[in-house]
Amino acid sequence: MLARVADSLYWIGRYVERAEHLCRLSDVMLTATLDRTESATQIARIALAAVGDPQDETKARSPYEAALALVLDREDPGSVASSLSRARENARQVRDQITTETWERLNLIHLRMNDTQAAQTFADGSQAFLHDTIADLHLFKGAADATMSHGEGWRFLLLGVYLERAQLIGALLEVCFGDRGRRAITDHSALTSLLRMGCALEPYLRVYTADMQPQYILEFLLLDEDFPRSVRFCTARIEEHLTSISRHVEAAGVSGPDRLAGRLRARLQYAEIGEVQASGSSAFLGAVLDECAGVHRQIYETFVAYTLEQRLPA
Amino acid sequence: MKLDVAKVKSVDRALSPSAAALPYDEMCDADGVVRPHYAALAARLETLSAGELAERQKTLERFFLLQGITFTVYGAESSTERIIPTDLLPRIISAEEWKTVEAGLTQRLKALNMFLADIYSSQQILMDGVVPRELVLKAPSYRRGMQNLYVPHQAYANVCGSDLIRQPDGAFAVLEDNLRVPSGVSYMLANREASKRVFPGTFRGAGVRPIDRYPDLLLTTLKSMAADWRPNPQVVVLTPGVYNSAYFEHAYLARLMGVPLVEGRDLVVHDNMVYMRTTTGLRRIDIIYRRVDDDFIDPLTFRSDSGLGSAGLFNAYRAGNVVICNAPGTGVADDKAVYAYVPEIIRYYLGEDAILPNIETFLCREPAQLSHVLANLDKFVVKAVGASGGYGMLVGPHSTKAQQDEFAAALKADPANYIAQPTIQLSTAPCLIDHAIEARHVDLRPFILSGEKIVVTPGALTRVALRKGSLVVNSSQGGGSKDTWVLTDRKDLQP
Repeated sequence: MLARVADSLYWIGRYVERAEHLCRLSDVMLTATLDRTESATQIARIALAAVGDPQDETKARSPYEAALALVLDREDPGSVASSLSRARENARQVRDQITTETWERLNLIHLRMNDTQAAQTFADGSQAFLHDTIADLHLFKGAADATMSHGEGWRFLLLGVYLERAQLIGALLEVCFGDRGRRAITDHSALTSLLRMGCALEPYLRVYTADMQPQYILEFLLLDEDFPRSVRFCTARIEEHLTSISRHVEAAGVSGPDRLAGRLRARLQYAEIGEVQASGSSAFLGAVLDECAGVHRQIYETFVAYTLEQRLPA
Repeated sequence: MKLDVAKVKSVDRALSPSAAALPYDEMCDADGVVRPHYAALAARLETLSAGELAERQKTLERFFLLQGITFTVYGAESSTERIIPTDLLPRIISAEEWKTVEAGLTQRLKALNMFLADIYSSQQILMDGVVPRELVLKAPSYRRGMQNLYVPHQAYANVCGSDLIRQPDGAFAVLEDNLRVPSGVSYMLANREASKRVFPGTFRGAGVRPIDRYPDLLLTTLKSMAADWRPNPQVVVLTPGVYNSAYFEHAYLARLMGVPLVEGRDLVVHDNMVYMRTTTGLRRIDIIYRRVDDDFIDPLTFRSDSGLGSAGLFNAYRAGNVVICNAPGTGVADDKAVYAYVPEIIRYYLGEDAILPNIETFLCREPAQLSHVLANLDKFVVKAVGASGGYGMLVGPHSTKAQQDEFAAALKADPANYIAQPTIQLSTAPCLIDHAIEARHVDLRPFILSGEKIVVTPGALTRVALRKGSLVVNSSQGGGSKDTWVLTDRKDLQP
């Protein structure tokens, strides 16, 4: 597979995952702040901090405007609309490598986001708009899963999805459970909202019942083996896909980034929540996020931007 | 409201000012009777209301939008995507007519390939004075570097898209050959996909010849260019990139052929071998179907400011380590001045008369012809030799005095750069315009493949001048397209 194509597929995965996460955060923020309580503002603050927009009290007090900007502001390269534009632009560049079914899904979402009526539709029913966008993004991933060959290209796409997800959930946990002197979250509705941000409420209830404990929530989102949005689950998939992709380069005598991915997966697989908290969640989360960034760098160096000297035929 | 097909005929007549230059009507004969091969469509149209037709047009446009068959219009605030205007109603060609077209195109491409093989080797035709020497050797598209290179099967132009028009008497003639990087074949295929959706019943009954083998035939043609030295060659499509207006087509063909779509930045030339950068290292390339103009494929040999090709590519080609399709330098055979000599070229190499005639062409480089053109600027279509896409062109009868004066000055300043042709009333076909059926002028671009053998795809892109009365069909000038049905000969059908 062409290096440029692999890079594009990887970024489609990242952008799509980012867009979905932002939609969900906006949705939870808007729903929570329908109640004008102190915990509602706290939730808005968490959501904004998790997307790297911290300490802005005015924004947290006007959640609708904040959500509108997060979703539709085309000037902001981090918004949902911008992320989807980039995902679609990348898809156009590798149009020959993805199936028509997969392309149509993404193209449709992009057309909806860039419709001149988009702002009006958002104003008429922001929750419905966000809900539909998230559902469409699920359809995109479903179409990719059901129609693309589960070979190298598909694995690069999923690598992007899982690396992005691991980093986004990691950042969210850092905001909520880091030791940066933030007030601990104890409020029941704030904890519920936190789970919703990770799309984790229903799966959580099935494991821990309605007993909302910060420690359980951290454990679930960080270390659960089966929940697809836990950091541990993501790192296991990252390792799986990287191992498969690296087989081919290793045959050519180049060491792949799967060693780093294996260490990251092991760190989460053998962690124990008590120990994590005892030595400080921030330190643990920081190490995880650093290693994610390291995997990202190595993917780039091994598969995309390698130097020609090593690879020229003798 | 039912549509009145009879009304279409009167609109036809209204398009043309004088009875003498009446354009050929694709659907109805001179007495207004529907031609037999259009009968099924005409009958279907009588049963459809304007609302139903509009509904189908919407389905068609949605198909193109979803597929991403769009181009981007960059505006002040935001950029929007538009689909290429596509007309709902198919243009139909009878089996009988197609036989002539097919034979004519095959003959023409065969002769043009022989012409290219000749001028890039012994130049016999120039020595015999059939084509003026300086016309060929001074053409900007002539590539000296191609001299004495082995090209398998003498197939210089592997993909050719010729523009045919129908003269008022109904006979097809060649308006232009296109041997460089002809485009539009994806629209031929996409239009077909769409029209199967909107007119399934009529389509099934009509006996339309299939065109969906095109990608497969293209791949076979490309592979035949390396068959003698690489049994299982690696083929790629080379595109200028996502901002090129034909990018959709490049990706479409690569996808349907199942070969990588590469850009210049994916290629590496080392030791006169061409490689692409893959995730697992460098992979050798044998055949490049390039959709990049000659000038841009290799900054070392051609334009040094080009970032679209790959440095060293042409040398690798000369060394015989990679095949470039179409071969560089084919443009000299579709030069607008060389065009005038094509009937002679056919006679010279094949000893046959051209099956498809040329349009009468005046070469302004000849003083006598120039003065004739200057005296009749309001009747001629004047074209710059090097320009394409409907640019640098004067359509005499539709021009103002000021435009004519401007061209007269340009003609006198650089006569060799211009040719002139009488204004031909292109034939008209029914189109859906603003909820009504109206006649619009159309041309025909069939696609011919040439490798080990020459294959004409039984279909074409019909381009439509959507503006009323306009004769310019280019998409850059307000043109659209429609599906083209070539019908099966009933005699050929197995019972």
